[in-house]
Amino acid sequence: MGMNGLDSVQPGSMYTVQIVDGREVTFDEEGFLLDPDLWNERLAEMLALEDGLPELSTIHWHVISFLREYYFANGKAPLNSELRKGTGLSLSEIEAGFPRGIRQGARRLAGLPNPRGCA
Amino acid sequence: MSHDAQIIYLDNAATTFPKPHEVLSEMQEVYGRLGVSPGRGTYDLAAQAEETVSQVRSQICEFFGGDDPERVIFAYNATDALNTLILGLVTPRCHVVSSRLEHNSVLRPLHHLRREGMFSYDLVPFDGQGFINPHDVAGSIRPETKMVILTHASNVLGTIQPVEEVGIICRDHGVPLILDVTQSAGVFPINMKSLGADAVAFTGHKALMGPTGIGGLVLRRGLDIRPTRFGGTGIDSSSLLQTDTYPHRLEAGTINLLGIIGLSTGIRYVIKHGMENTYQNEMTLLRRLRDGLAELQPVHVYCGDNLDNHVAVLLCNIEGMDARDLGDILDGDFHIAARSGLHCAPLVHLDLGTSPSGGVRFSPGPFNTSRDIDVVLDAMREIVMSR
Repeated sequence: MGMNGLDSVQPGSMYTVQIVDGREVTFDEEGFLLDPDLWNERLAEMLALEDGLPELSTIHWHVISFLREYYFANGKAPLNSELRKGTGLSLSEIEAGFPRGIRQGARRLAGLPNPRGCA
Repeated sequence: MSHDAQIIYLDNAATTFPKPHEVLSEMQEVYGRLGVSPGRGTYDLAAQAEETVSQVRSQICEFFGGDDPERVIFAYNATDALNTLILGLVTPRCHVVSSRLEHNSVLRPLHHLRREGMFSYDLVPFDGQGFINPHDVAGSIRPETKMVILTHASNVLGTIQPVEEVGIICRDHGVPLILDVTQSAGVFPINMKSLGADAVAFTGHKALMGPTGIGGLVLRRGLDIRPTRFGGTGIDSSSLLQTDTYPHRLEAGTINLLGIIGLSTGIRYVIKHGMENTYQNEMTLLRRLRDGLAELQPVHVYCGDNLDNHVAVLLCNIEGMDARDLGDILDGDFHIAARSGLHCAPLVHLDLGTSPSGGVRFSPGPFNTSRDIDVVLDAMREIVMSR
């Protein structure tokens, strides 16, 4: 493992650019949009397809809409309790509804920034 | 579960919570009386505050089996203490031995200095049960090795490392042994002399039951650390040079008196309640958790087969679920606070194969009960069944 594996976990150096609907869209190394303002429904459908979801249901759109509305109203992603209250769904249900779960699934499809915290 | 329910807090390896009432009330009372700049100025109150700080240095020195209270250096936390130590001990082209179990508080300073071309290091591996082999440390030591720096207990796996054996090896090679006792201080007796440690770095806000923002170093007499931060110390003020005198040599700026008061009261609390009692209670809870999780088929527990040489930390995952989502579900749906992710120890997770999402770490503390563990097990069962 190069450099004892330390360099392999450095964020920020592996962005990719894709052309979506004629626009350049930049994604980070985990496939998150760098600029949430570039999101549109077509992009969400494209990302869903990458995740193995050929079609987004009403419930998917409900979760995505809540995430986006909350993010643009508050400048941050909702707390766990707010996500549950705001969607009326348990986090277990949301996790199960998106093939890649909440953070890598719902949140990525909603075009929110990569949640780098915690880790 | 109602969202008004009280949280079940199982992230004590990050910070113990809540703090004992006596710690909080003592902080308020003593700081209310003496909250001035310790040792600055000629008025009595400043001298009394300095005397309080000196008494805490003696208390900490005794607690860790140090040999000189003036070699107790206060810092913001263990990371700050480790930076002071690493940056002040290394010399150009030297070599350091550490392990792949380390927290970023060690890995990042080492890596930064190596990228700057300052020195080189070797990281010894850990085995399938989460322990390093002291022979690997011996094999990594070179003539230019300046220090061996190891975690006493892994913050991811909870495994207590065989540091006494490493201490003997280091003594035989004439290399200082530095221990990061962040996870063990307060639940496990630490005596620098018997462990063969030349320095320990600790934080106050975990099992020592103090507040955040206070930690420190205890140095063996004779281990000299160059200052890497400079400023006011309250002594030798006419000189533009940082004083050589310990502890001020490594403490630039006004120290965290409120944190020091809390740390002191926290240590008294720990001693009063008996470290061994606390440790045994926490390990009983951990075994209950480990045994319950073992019955859930898609749950994988890491390095939990034998908990004899562990602190109360258990890492797990549910197969096919992002660990961070599991942490969110435990919190949002069940009001359980556990730590998900990489735990600031990326190499442990790389080697376990749990990168990049990491795992979920449960760490019971002194205020947890067997009922808390049963609630966690019910929650984990429900999550597993719903998939």
